[in-house]
Amino acid sequence: MNAAVRMTGVTKTFGQMTAVAGLNLEVPRGGLYGFIGPNGAGKTTAIRMLMSILFPDAGTISILDHASALEAKDRIGYLPEERGLYRKMRVRPFLRYIGRLKGLGGADLEPRITAALDRVGLPGVDRKRCDELSKGMSQKVQFVAATLHEPDLLILDEPFSGLDPVSTRMLRGVILEEHRRGATVLLSTHVMPQAEEICEHVVMVHQGRKVLDDDLATIRRAYDPRTVQLEPLDAEADTTALASLPEVEHVRAADRGHEIRLRRGTDPAAAMRSLLDAVPAARIELTRPRLEDIFVDIVGRGAADPAGGKGEPGSASHRASQGAGGAS
Amino acid sequence: MTRIVQVALRDFLAVVTTKGFVFGLVATPAIGGILVLVAPSLFDDRDYRIAGEYAIVDPTGAVAPRMRAAIEPQAVAGRRLAALRRGMDRVPEPVRSVAEDAVPPSLAAELGPPPDVRLTVLPADADLEEARAWLAEDSAAPGEPRRAALIVIHHDAVTGEDPAAALGTYDLYVPAGLDDRDVDFCHEAIREAITEARAAAHDLDRAAVERLLEVPRQASIAVGAGAEGETVGGLTRLLPAAYMILLMVGIMVGGQNMLTSTVEEKSNRVVEVLLSAVSPMELMAGKLLGAMAVSFVMMAFYAGIGLALLASFSLLGLVDPWLILYLGIFFVLGFLVLGSLMLAVGAAVNDMNEAASLQGPLIVAIMVPWIFWPAVARSPDSTLALVVSFLPPVNTFGMLIRMASTQPPPWWQVWLSIAIGAAAVVGAVWVAAKVFRIGLLMYGKPPDFRTLIRWVRAA
Repeated sequence: MNAAVRMTGVTKTFGQMTAVAGLNLEVPRGGLYGFIGPNGAGKTTAIRMLMSILFPDAGTISILDHASALEAKDRIGYLPEERGLYRKMRVRPFLRYIGRLKGLGGADLEPRITAALDRVGLPGVDRKRCDELSKGMSQKVQFVAATLHEPDLLILDEPFSGLDPVSTRMLRGVILEEHRRGATVLLSTHVMPQAEEICEHVVMVHQGRKVLDDDLATIRRAYDPRTVQLEPLDAEADTTALASLPEVEHVRAADRGHEIRLRRGTDPAAAMRSLLDAVPAARIELTRPRLEDIFVDIVGRGAADPAGGKGEPGSASHRASQGAGGAS
Repeated sequence: MTRIVQVALRDFLAVVTTKGFVFGLVATPAIGGILVLVAPSLFDDRDYRIAGEYAIVDPTGAVAPRMRAAIEPQAVAGRRLAALRRGMDRVPEPVRSVAEDAVPPSLAAELGPPPDVRLTVLPADADLEEARAWLAEDSAAPGEPRRAALIVIHHDAVTGEDPAAALGTYDLYVPAGLDDRDVDFCHEAIREAITEARAAAHDLDRAAVERLLEVPRQASIAVGAGAEGETVGGLTRLLPAAYMILLMVGIMVGGQNMLTSTVEEKSNRVVEVLLSAVSPMELMAGKLLGAMAVSFVMMAFYAGIGLALLASFSLLGLVDPWLILYLGIFFVLGFLVLGSLMLAVGAAVNDMNEAASLQGPLIVAIMVPWIFWPAVARSPDSTLALVVSFLPPVNTFGMLIRMASTQPPPWWQVWLSIAIGAAAVVGAVWVAAKVFRIGLLMYGKPPDFRTLIRWVRAA
């Protein structure tokens, strides 16, 4: 089956600044992809090119088997980062307008609007004027506008920004619902834990270049866990011996014990035995690498290695750099 | 196409369903109508009664008696009636017939109340200082007319020694603060009296002289390859002005609405939501159509009122239907050129303050035809007229002025101007679309003209 989204060697510059550099991206149909990276990494520019709002200087784009999103807009739901509503317009006419622009109409449209508002917990707000809505309510209405036509591809740029935890959880549920319905979801965020919670696959960009592209499980497997949380059995125990172990890179105090960073290439199981030998522990745990840590690791190595942080052979970052047109 | 219609429909309804638009639409003609109805009463001076005492020093002895006759109510009514008829002669035939039907029943009202003026003839050698003091004192007894004028006829006002030299005239002294209608009446009566005296002194029959001098103006008949006919005149000549006003109002209202809504969509960040559903070109086309529809509603409303008024006076024949058709064509062309550029300005800026400087040249383009209008209307075949009628964006104005003139251009020039106008639409929409596409997602420092040009070349 063809990919829902395919970007090949896409580059976009604004004056002297390169926003996106030779980006390769492929999102299979039915995928739930996180497009992550810090602010200014080029995510929004890449998404705008996907949506044919901006056009690449180089490279090709295919979206739902079309060369341009303009040819498939009715099948794409897009929640932009820069989003808003017509202040003087009421919610229902606004959604009706967007629905009609997306090719909806007839008797089906009105009940669909009602159901969509109910789903995001906004029953009865359809008569309100948009400038009467709170920020969270506006976000939800905008989400409804993006999904009203049950798109095949849903592109969400920072969908959780400005939402409280309850609304974030609710929206996360609705996104997963859309995915279960069969929609391909590409979710862009700079808040990496959010992507970690929801996505199956992660594409990480930094300074316009892709630095990671793999499914989350593989990433976790590939990134050798090198952080151990240790809580001594005796709170008063001398732990200075930990830092002197050959497997240990450094030790720092954590909430209830120590966070121990192992040297690269160390066998975690053997290292944990050595740690227990040095200091009896009430709790010892190998910490799963967080995306944030992986990102910092990749970027850190990239800064240290001007060759582009290609990573070690076999690692996720190595595969990522091979996939990234700009780095390969 | 459906998306363009949807955008147009939203923008159209967003404007025409506002109370402000409805109020503005109705208020303008309502205020005009109120002025038409009320102003005549407010400014009507026909009820003003000319009254007072005039003193006259007449060394010729021939003017004073005629002055006394000239201020007689019947003579005054006769002169006013004649003036009214002379005015009517200048009015186009259909208006004249309507007006003449209306005049007889209200003739007395039209002519106003008869004057009540008393004339005192002073001796020819009267002391002028004393006479002026009499006027200045204004110590008229109760019930007596106020002192209103001292008239001093020059000794050579009726006859002169040198037949080739101009005859003398008169001096008129009035008290400070005298109403200008009294002054005008006095001048008119003196002129009448002196003219009568001169005619008598030269043994001339004044009525015969006036008949000799009178050549009523007739409508000219244009002779050409086609059928003969009266040259366009009357209201038809006002069509370019009506067009300019309509286009100006259309651009001002439609263009401003477009500009405001674009700036609002940009500042509200709703524009990217729209761009996820429509292409920038579709968005722009929809906005242009919506704004043009708003202008058409406004024009149809005003034109409907105008036509209804003309029809009620049986004056519809004054308007050339072909010119109305061309007016429609030229309006669409002019609106699309200036409106699309206005839309580009809206997309390029962040708020209305920034828009003011960028839309300046467009406002000038709308105002330019007012400068050229008299020259083009007077010499519709001049080089200036030719240039103006083929140079976008003012060509639509220029050509319509020429078409409504006494020497309409050949049809091929009209259609050449329309073709140039259509090409200008394509060019303007092309430029505007490029600025629109880039500008919509640009925030921060507003672009200057150099940046706009760079956008056009880069996009």
